[in-house]
Amino acid sequence: MSSTPYNYNYIFKYIIIGDMGVGKSCILHQFTEKKFMANCPHTIGVEFGTRIIEVDDKKIKLQIWDTAGQERFRAVTRSYYRGAAGALMVYDITRRSTYNHLSSWLTDTRNLTNPNTVIFLIGNKSDLESTREVTYEEAEEFAKENGLMFLEASAMTGQNVEEAFLETARRIYQNIQEGRLDLNASESGVQHRPSQPGRTSLTNEAPNNKDQCSC
Amino acid sequence: MSSLGGGAASNSIPTISAAVSSSSLASKTSASNSSDALSSSNRQLLTTIQIVQQKFKENENVLSIFEAYQIIGQEHTSRILCLVVSVAGGTYAVFSMAASRLPPRSCSDLTIDKVFPLNESFCMGNDRKGSISQLQFTLKCSDEQPVKYFYYPLSSDNDVVDFDTFQAQVTSAKMSMVLSPSESTALSFAWVNDYRQIGEVKQEMKRREHEYIKYKDFTIYCATYNVNNKSYIDSPLHLWLAASEDAPDIYAIALQELDTSAKAITFSENRPDYMWIMKMLESVHDKGEYEELTSVRLVGMMLTVIVKREIRSSITRHNVKTIARGILNTLGNKGGVAVSLQLNEANLCFVNSHLAAHMGFVEARNEDYHGIVKGLVFDDELRRTINDHDHIFWIGDLNYRIEEPPGLQLPVARSTAHSAEILLKYDQLRQEMRKGNCFEGYTEGPINFRPTYKYDPGTDNYDSSEKQRAPAYCDRILWKGSRITQLAYNSVMDIRQSDHKPVYAVFRVSIKTRDDHLYKKVHEEVLKLLDKRENESQPQIIVEKTIIDFGMVRFNETVVSDFTVSNACPMQVGFEFKRKDPPLNAICEKWLRVEPWKEKLMIDSTKSIRVKLSANVDSITSLLQKIRTTNWKFDFDILILQVENGPHIFITVTGEYKPSCFGLSMETLCRTDRPLCEYDQQQIKDLMNDESPEFRVTMPREFFLLIDYLHKQGPKVEGAFTLDSLEFKHARNVEFNDIRDWLDTWSNNEFPGTPQAAAEALLMLLHLPEKPLLDPYVDDLLKTKTTAEAMELVSLLSSPKRNVFVHLCMFLREGIERKYYNGMHVATIFGRVLLRSTKKSDDYYRDINCREFMQRFISNGEMSTLSSSSSSASSATGSHHNHHRATTPVAKMKNSASNASLSGGSTAAVDSS
Repeated sequence: MSSTPYNYNYIFKYIIIGDMGVGKSCILHQFTEKKFMANCPHTIGVEFGTRIIEVDDKKIKLQIWDTAGQERFRAVTRSYYRGAAGALMVYDITRRSTYNHLSSWLTDTRNLTNPNTVIFLIGNKSDLESTREVTYEEAEEFAKENGLMFLEASAMTGQNVEEAFLETARRIYQNIQEGRLDLNASESGVQHRPSQPGRTSLTNEAPNNKDQCSC
Repeated sequence: MSSLGGGAASNSIPTISAAVSSSSLASKTSASNSSDALSSSNRQLLTTIQIVQQKFKENENVLSIFEAYQIIGQEHTSRILCLVVSVAGGTYAVFSMAASRLPPRSCSDLTIDKVFPLNESFCMGNDRKGSISQLQFTLKCSDEQPVKYFYYPLSSDNDVVDFDTFQAQVTSAKMSMVLSPSESTALSFAWVNDYRQIGEVKQEMKRREHEYIKYKDFTIYCATYNVNNKSYIDSPLHLWLAASEDAPDIYAIALQELDTSAKAITFSENRPDYMWIMKMLESVHDKGEYEELTSVRLVGMMLTVIVKREIRSSITRHNVKTIARGILNTLGNKGGVAVSLQLNEANLCFVNSHLAAHMGFVEARNEDYHGIVKGLVFDDELRRTINDHDHIFWIGDLNYRIEEPPGLQLPVARSTAHSAEILLKYDQLRQEMRKGNCFEGYTEGPINFRPTYKYDPGTDNYDSSEKQRAPAYCDRILWKGSRITQLAYNSVMDIRQSDHKPVYAVFRVSIKTRDDHLYKKVHEEVLKLLDKRENESQPQIIVEKTIIDFGMVRFNETVVSDFTVSNACPMQVGFEFKRKDPPLNAICEKWLRVEPWKEKLMIDSTKSIRVKLSANVDSITSLLQKIRTTNWKFDFDILILQVENGPHIFITVTGEYKPSCFGLSMETLCRTDRPLCEYDQQQIKDLMNDESPEFRVTMPREFFLLIDYLHKQGPKVEGAFTLDSLEFKHARNVEFNDIRDWLDTWSNNEFPGTPQAAAEALLMLLHLPEKPLLDPYVDDLLKTKTTAEAMELVSLLSSPKRNVFVHLCMFLREGIERKYYNGMHVATIFGRVLLRSTKKSDDYYRDINCREFMQRFISNGEMSTLSSSSSSASSATGSHHNHHRATTPVAKMKNSASNASLSGGSTAAVDSS
């Protein structure tokens, strides 16, 4: 066989952020396992999931950092934004407060990531139409005003979960193609084809620069 | 690939999907690792060697396995080394595999991390010089650095051989391949490249190849003709090239003796002869449209591959190579030319060779054969040899003759009475093949045609010249590889221009072809499986608690809490507390100690972690700052326990700080209206953030109590302020907490300590607030030249600070005057405290500057720039003061202050206290 040797061509780092209980971990689980995780415990820390996807015939390994949403962890989770190529910002369409906090999540994201980080707004729990508190149009307007990609999704049914992750990857890939991302910069959140195939260490990839933190 | 190794086929072994199944993302810290239990219930009763075998293809056999480990960084990393033979190539290699657990339960636990072909440069050494262990050895290949391995004296697994056995097996495997150095290039290690530097996806795809590979039949037409130097051929070549019923997919047409002139031989003519190629294209099957794929020529030998247009795109690669075997192995009159190509997923090789001539030169022909097999290496990325192909067709004038059987009349072959069957009994090629002297593994179909050599050109008559050469089956077509069926094998009598007759053979070959649909499906499954495996194999640690609540935390009292962390996965796992971003740049806040901060957990082990909290002189300033600035609920800290290659777990250290006067600013203290023990953390936080200019008292009660006490001690305060006072030695003593309580309760009891301890408490009161007493004018004050100038700035301070400063100076001056303590020392330490730099610079000159500044305020004049009138006035009045009244220094200060143009407001404020 002489088919091209590959494992994957790129690694994209994503973070998932948003208020506690909006379903961040469930979205991740739905994406990596195609299953809904009922009674998901609160994330106390940062957890990882990976999945290899394909964009334009390129294998892309998504390395997804699922963060704790509790307010008391807010300061700590800020240190995980750096070097994210994609940020999935999640709110719960049945809880208005989680939508109202978006601007603060967005401020953090803009301040702590690079200008090319793709931010995707996800209105989760779209299966719970009867208890909806935030309309699609309203969130769409918010997304448009802030230049975010947007979808309503359901970690329960799986609706649009795949799309959100893939659309984000496509946009990042497009940024690479158009030369907007400096692949050599650790902040880009993108690594081009790892030299050493196989599992990559998550911890070693955390950028370790000594820049003064803005937070 | 050859089916020789079929006995070791492992197709029936279940795929890893059966062994790895788990229902939940195991990354929840609270969830125990469920995949372990599941996989053990599904466990097949496979031995380790069988599991290892699953990593390889059907004709690659694992001969033995050996358990070793490598030390990477500080870690022992398990490795399984195995000795594998490729049956097809007859070559050996040692593979090093990383094992995620030992013994492995399925082949998904294994990842090949290094391959050592046992080639010439391979070396297994156990030079123990300077080694850290007796039980170590190295493996080395080519120019690469030797790789160091260690092993255990005893193995846990019956399948695993001991070191000596393994080394002996490797050595003998290598020895078995050692041929003479000139021939060593022939050993084909191309098969190991399938395992080199490829990701898990590819390894897994290879393993599951049978799931997406189907076989598609192609017709391959091989033809050979020794044209005997006839450059112009006017023969009905279609009889030779279009003899099959159906149009073949691929033609491999071999010619010999195209041009054997001395010139051509000497200059190794290698330009393909396009007259011939044109002629071939005209003569191939007329039911197909054909094009030339490639041609390769070496002097008289030319090999042309012609393909049907419709399959051209299925050929993804083709290379050519020649090898000369003429005189001194350099002249190209004998030797071989070859074409290598990939058709779908199969690698095909066509060889056209012209071997040594003459009846007696059997061994030379065998040698030519071996020389070609060993010496011909294509210049492709894998440097394939002939044997590295799935289907090989060897075509040409092999020149093997028919032996004269004893007792039969010479020449036996001339007689048409003898059938081909009898002739073939004496055919040298058949004889040599039977003896295993050449064309090992090759097959030739039945020959039902007359010997193809040597004819009188233009006739069907055997050589009638004087030489009367014996007829022979010189022109042959052989094949090697599986799924090849010969459909025809014949010579063409009606082409008569040469002294040879042309020969052709038609084959049906089942070509390994990828079913794109199935491939995609399997590929998706593999990706999903690997993702799942990666997600599930994340190391897990169970933390006993993620909230450490210290309850009420008091100033200068250390509290301790222990919690356990346990390994929750089937392998050793490391963890460490993550260093936080700057400016903290540490794993925890100043007031915490975490031990150990980094550790390894063996399987099933548990470790205890101790968290110590002390809000003391070293940390209270930053602690209060954090309390003041935290918007949300205050936590002492959030520790990040970072599992190596796994999740990060937040451990919240919480509790409530019980306020004390230490560390609070003079302003904050002046906003209190009751003892600090009656405040809680939130109330103090509110006071700290209160920026109104309203104060409940003009001077902190706690400051006043200390000054008052010290003042009353008279000569007992001697030596209270020394250069090492700022080391806060008393505060490190438990008894100091009585002083804390005395201050925080506004106690009426006797002061519970020595004057020295009180002096230290006073210094702490001034030193521990976030900002120095003279903030925000520290720098400006240091630039002042005169006391008057300085006092103007002092008057701008907030009233609590101003009052404290004025009081303090009065108090200190009195002590110095009375020679209770060294003025120089007092100026030094108070200079450091009151004018503390926020920039943390240890500038020697600044220190002197601070001291000199303080001296202007607290010394009696002789070396002070304080105006002599004010200092003499103050000392004059000061001597009359009543030592029993706490306000004495204030009154004294009032005098000097008025001389120094202290603002009226400030004195008024002092009065009111």
